[in-house]
Amino acid sequence: MTLLPYLSKRFLASVITLLAVIFLTFAVFFWLTPDPAANICGQTCTPDQIHAIREQLGLNQPFLKQFWAFLAGIFAGRAYGAGATAVQCSAPCIGFSFQSGTNVLTTIISRLPVTISLAAGAAVLWLLVGISGGMISAVKKGTWWDRGAMMVSLGGISLPNYFVALVLQYLLVVKLKLLPFPTLVPFSENPSGWFKAYLMPWIVLALMYAATYARLIRANMLDTMGENFMRTARAKGLAPAPILFRHALRPSLTPVVSLFGVEFATLLGGALITETVFGLSGVGKLAYDAIQSNDQPVIMGVTLVAAFAVIIANLLVDLAYSVLDPRVRVASR
Amino acid sequence: MKLTTAPEPDGRIGAMLSVEGLTVTFPALGSRVIDDINFTIEKGKTIGLVGESGSGKSMTSLAIMGLLPEGAAVEGSVSYWGEQLLGNPDSAMRRLRGDRIAMIFQDPLSSLNPYFTVGFQIAEAYRTHRGGSRRQARGVAVEAMRQVRIPDAERRVDHYPHQFSGGMRQRVMIAMALVCQPDLIIADEPTTALDVTVQAQILTLMSDLQDSTGAGMLFITHDLAVVSDVADSIVVMQRGKTVEQGTAEAIFSWPESDYTRALLAATPRLDDIVDLPEPLRGTR
Repeated sequence: MTLLPYLSKRFLASVITLLAVIFLTFAVFFWLTPDPAANICGQTCTPDQIHAIREQLGLNQPFLKQFWAFLAGIFAGRAYGAGATAVQCSAPCIGFSFQSGTNVLTTIISRLPVTISLAAGAAVLWLLVGISGGMISAVKKGTWWDRGAMMVSLGGISLPNYFVALVLQYLLVVKLKLLPFPTLVPFSENPSGWFKAYLMPWIVLALMYAATYARLIRANMLDTMGENFMRTARAKGLAPAPILFRHALRPSLTPVVSLFGVEFATLLGGALITETVFGLSGVGKLAYDAIQSNDQPVIMGVTLVAAFAVIIANLLVDLAYSVLDPRVRVASR
Repeated sequence: MKLTTAPEPDGRIGAMLSVEGLTVTFPALGSRVIDDINFTIEKGKTIGLVGESGSGKSMTSLAIMGLLPEGAAVEGSVSYWGEQLLGNPDSAMRRLRGDRIAMIFQDPLSSLNPYFTVGFQIAEAYRTHRGGSRRQARGVAVEAMRQVRIPDAERRVDHYPHQFSGGMRQRVMIAMALVCQPDLIIADEPTTALDVTVQAQILTLMSDLQDSTGAGMLFITHDLAVVSDVADSIVVMQRGKTVEQGTAEAIFSWPESDYTRALLAATPRLDDIVDLPEPLRGTR
């Protein structure tokens, strides 16, 4: 099996998954949410007006027809309504917000820089802390270093992040006055302001992940250090550093890659709690606000974008895996 | 006791490796895994260290290499060209390991790191002790693979361990052990994980290489039949103690202890098979 058929197979599987996710998302919102027309119209609304809205949005049509229109919108664009009042929505179209009337996809894309800044910064932090913490724990297994690191990580896993966020804000902003209360500035305008604004959200988000990664790396390292090839490395006369960083770390990191890819992608769908607590207007905050106001197209849009990110990440992780693990690489060839 | 600080290529006197009263205990566990082992290995000679599993064979090799597990206490003397190895700091031992004293292990698949090419792993042993560029070390690795008769070495050097057969993997391990031209090779059950036919090939290869390099060898095995072909003298161990010790000829011809006789009897021999009743002969 060469790499190309493998790739096309994985790609096809991803497309099917994506279609299934679109169908499921649409079905859930079709059957489980209250009448969107009434919602749009507001409280002082006559049945005639509601009927007109239904007519315009195509909400009175059967499920499959509506789903087809939605799917067509994503891949080819669609028009809402007919005649002079028709609104054109170009592909990929996930509709318009019931609340603000803006294009959902455009809104999500405008929120992405905040979410990406948050996720990327946190990822750097949690990988650094998680990997080094896990390594130290494994090398110093059974010592106070190990116990200390594992206690901190247990805390990191069990403390809810809104709680950590509040404690950090109180300590760093109110008490010690080390940081200003976060106000968002784009990186291009004021890099240090950008850094200060994101520092606390990064720490809060990274803490939980770093804790999980430290435990995972520790367990992987301990497994690897018991392998026969570690004895070979010592018998070759290698110094402790290459033994640790080359022979032990490499096999321990590979399984982490798959976890990281999917978790990072999940964060691109919005870190709902962290964004809300710090008032960061990212995708998570958008979803939160949309849920508050029952803005169905926006909720659906965020769901789809998040699912899309995870599916893409899964595909990338599979590819990365075939590069990182020589055994997978050859098996797929 | 340090007679010479660095082993000199010329003017060496006495035995290359001399093990005297080697004893390894685990004080915390109250166990004595090796008790008063004595032998010497001359250049170009092979000592067979034979015993059942748990008899302390591998511990003996780890004690020589300074690779005993944590918590082990070691007494006695291990001297290499007169340099006392026991109690040597790890940095000094690292200079010897893989360079002057190299090891070959039992299971070549798990003893090679699956994430690196065999060429890299052979070259790594060379570069650790001799330095040099990656390209140069790669050339050395290809040469070492040719020396252990791996076909198509120029191409195979970039392959990963799992792409080799068991016998070829063990050849890779041997190439890795020989790449710095060591004085002493410790082979810990080097053929146990292999098919019988492959076993014979590896044994032939090892003794050929020993003839051409003049290295001494400590050959550890549970199988007396295997050492009968390669060893000049044999140490039989049981539960950490020496049961019997002597030239290979003497051990095979006039085994003194019951344990050695039992080990000899446990080895299937061709004439035994011929004596078997008819139905069993086919199943062998």
